[in-house]
Amino acid sequence: MPEAQRIFGIPEIDETLWTALPPGWLALLTGHSGSGAPLLAKQFAQAGVGNVPVLFYTTYERTEEVTKRFRDFGWDPGSIKVVNLADEYYERVLVRGLEVARAREVGLSLGEIVEARPKVRTSGSFSLTNRMLSDLAAIDSPFRLVVDSVDFFFEVLEPHDVTTVARQIRHRCQTIGGQALIAAHSIAHDRSVFGLLQDLADLVFDLKATPSGDHYEHELYVEKVAHRPDLTHIWKAVVGETGWQVEPRGSS
Amino acid sequence: MAPATALERCATGITGLDNILEGGIPRGNMVLVSGSVGTGKTTLCLEFLVRGAERGERSLFLSVTESSTKLIQNLSTFEFFRRDLVDQGSLVFVDLPAVYDRLGLGKEELSSEEVDILIRTISDLVRSLGVKRLVLDSLTSVCYRFRKDEQIRDFMLRLGQELSDVRCTSLLVSEIGPNPARYSLHGVEEAIVDGVILLWNTRRFGDIVRVVQVVKMRGTAHSRAQYVLDLTSIGILMAPHLKGGREGGV
Repeated sequence: MPEAQRIFGIPEIDETLWTALPPGWLALLTGHSGSGAPLLAKQFAQAGVGNVPVLFYTTYERTEEVTKRFRDFGWDPGSIKVVNLADEYYERVLVRGLEVARAREVGLSLGEIVEARPKVRTSGSFSLTNRMLSDLAAIDSPFRLVVDSVDFFFEVLEPHDVTTVARQIRHRCQTIGGQALIAAHSIAHDRSVFGLLQDLADLVFDLKATPSGDHYEHELYVEKVAHRPDLTHIWKAVVGETGWQVEPRGSS
Repeated sequence: MAPATALERCATGITGLDNILEGGIPRGNMVLVSGSVGTGKTTLCLEFLVRGAERGERSLFLSVTESSTKLIQNLSTFEFFRRDLVDQGSLVFVDLPAVYDRLGLGKEELSSEEVDILIRTISDLVRSLGVKRLVLDSLTSVCYRFRKDEQIRDFMLRLGQELSDVRCTSLLVSEIGPNPARYSLHGVEEAIVDGVILLWNTRRFGDIVRVVQVVKMRGTAHSRAQYVLDLTSIGILMAPHLKGGREGGV
């Protein structure tokens, strides 16, 4: 499989699905806690390295953790732009919330009141969506993008704003030939909004972990391939030295 | 019959106004200074503070609409203003929007809890500085974000009580249109305050003149006559408003 036609860098999946995809597409990857979906999201990012600029938006891991995970599997994080949205959100929104809570609880000191001067507002309050979409708008050639995970967006945005983000990403992919993957690890989302995300996605993957004796067995469900329901499939998934690999179900 | 007890007065330092008010505003009273744009509300309030600071009464200007830096700049053009009063802390300017920002109150609508925080902050400031004269410019801007009349009533009653407890005399600026049916944005403000000083512009022989009238002042047998208000560099001068010529609000 040519490098430029890799989805995850898993030959069985890339070969089956790539030809069914339009030039720009959006994938949704679901996987509950312990399923290994974060690793698959990183593998998706890695598979784009060398072909297109790769952006990896993390919302729950420290940046150092993300880059370490890449290195653990022999992937080079140096070619991937890792953006930690949670850190930015924390620094620019939550820390401010803590300061306000403290000021409200204990009151402001005389100095804090008398010395306070109105701030010059430059770009309004921090917006998660603007932060990410402005990055996207600056790209004018094919790209690969990962959002790991959209759960954070559900926590801090209104549901319709989450779908707006997904629509914008998809539109950008379609316009300039981008490849994007949105990961979701929680099941506690608004089902109607989550259904919309599934509708928007050209590909929907679900990584499942089920107990089997003293260990878990993993399966990768290819749940949706836009306009090609015949290509949906269930694979047995195993983690090797280079990341996730798949085998036919029933193989030992 | 026992003689009436004379109220302690807080002289505004504006001679014409003090003459009308039997020497000044009853100490600890809350007064609405109401008028449309350009009628001299802010200047009247600033002079009230400067004159107070000169008498050793710590004076506080809570600015909502203009930055204190700009206010002081404008004030510097008046001869009656003394920069040293600011430097020595007798005349204090506070930018309320900056305080809002610190307290997370910079939103369009305030909850009752947030109104409570605002009152507490102003009250603490007045107490810790020992403020005897306060101006809020403007009450309209503060109340604009209260969605219920009860919140305005609560804010004013409680703030009034807090200020009265420490004998702090206050002027609250109320922004109204040129020909208003009432003295405040919501109408509830004027019922709560102890006094109302109304300012407006009027045409007289082709000129626009500022006019001032004390509409209400509790504890004071005041005149309700109209006076022409002249903003001069040495301060506000007042003269009886002669009723000749064509008259009309501007």
